[in-house]
Amino acid sequence: MLKKRLIISLTFNDGILFRTKKFHPDYRYTKNFVDLWTADEIILLDVSKKNKLNKKFLEIVKYFSLNCFVPISAGGGIKSMKDVSLLFKTGVDKVIINSSTYKNPNLVKKISKSYGSQAVIHSIDCKKKPDGNYTVMVNNGRIDTNYSPTDWANIATENGCGELLINNIDNDGSLLGYDLDLIFSITNKFDCPVLGLGGAGNWEHIYQLFKITNVSGACTQNIYHFTNESLKSAKSYLKNKQILIRE
Amino acid sequence: MADINIVDVGIGNLASLCSALQKLNISFKLCETTNDFQNNSKIILPGVGAFGNFMKKLNERKIDELIIEKVNKKKSVLGICLGFQILFSDSTEYGKHKGLNLIKGNIIKINLSTRVPHVGWNECVFNQNSEIFHNVKNHSDFYFLHSYFLETYNNEEVVTYTNYGINFPSSIQKENVFGVQFHPEKSQYNGLQVIKNFVERC
Repeated sequence: MLKKRLIISLTFNDGILFRTKKFHPDYRYTKNFVDLWTADEIILLDVSKKNKLNKKFLEIVKYFSLNCFVPISAGGGIKSMKDVSLLFKTGVDKVIINSSTYKNPNLVKKISKSYGSQAVIHSIDCKKKPDGNYTVMVNNGRIDTNYSPTDWANIATENGCGELLINNIDNDGSLLGYDLDLIFSITNKFDCPVLGLGGAGNWEHIYQLFKITNVSGACTQNIYHFTNESLKSAKSYLKNKQILIRE
Repeated sequence: MADINIVDVGIGNLASLCSALQKLNISFKLCETTNDFQNNSKIILPGVGAFGNFMKKLNERKIDELIIEKVNKKKSVLGICLGFQILFSDSTEYGKHKGLNLIKGNIIKINLSTRVPHVGWNECVFNQNSEIFHNVKNHSDFYFLHSYFLETYNNEEVVTYTNYGINFPSSIQKENVFGVQFHPEKSQYNGLQVIKNFVERC
């Protein structure tokens, strides 16, 4: 049987590991402390403000591809097939597309045609409006697309993306738990694997996500989860609660 | 001479496979044309992308003929992921395309009630013994990433099955032709062991 995935998500600005909350850099931690053997998958995101792929970020991607033998997905600022090809050559297995779909929905289609739909994850950053409905934000939460998460996910999957990564940006770094309503609304409607991101504070949050939403993977951006001991303890917690997990 | 010749037609991620071989101290050479291949090396056929596009690239470079010739000369070949699918007769990915036909079988889109693509860690259950799984426990987890799978096949050639709604062949062996639907280069210790086995025992 297919196991639920526990995914580490790392955010970098100009090659420095960031905690997502308010995007403050945390110089105490570097890529080197991340345990590479217990995580089921690793997501690397670049938030540097730039017009092209950040060189230091590519070095980070290379470091992970040389040192860990688990799948790596990378994204942040991908604008062209040239960026995509460079990332695959550097060692990623899947690329993560987000804001570029706003201006150029064809990019996802092109990637899935060349590399297969399993090679594309579409990340969807959502925000709850005062009226209680959700809207999709792009460009690191700066632009409101006025699309609902479902409509946006429709565009992404129709263009051939293989997985959806759903995040409520207000929960990001809150440690208060995932937005289960939002994530459930997507897992319920779409047939591709869905990953939940944003808000993991403890193992119970991850358990609730798996139990309630039927996601394929839970992403954590909480740096205190990145060590061998804590990932192992997360996995034994989930296993005790009958979640099918890789040990 | 290198232990392994890796087929390189310029698409996808070969970096992970190369770093896995480096980790195992196995020498390898990336082969872009037929002239790059060496006489006594084993061949690894990795693959990313769509079936037809990949076959076209092999055909343009005449690498398809070379692989068949090597197999006939009893050299061992290991296909990984799309490279596994290419070993069979044909696939229906973006139209009907012929494969290398080294093993009889057809590749079709996963058409189940399960989520597609099949992504993540799943178990390989032994159907028979093979050197390729030497020192790997039954029911070990490997990383899968695919939307198409082997639908018709000969059970006697199936090394392991994996369950994803149905049981499908996740690895195969026909004499000196080996194939794995999962990514050994992404499957940590078990995956490295499979690669090691291919080089040392197959």
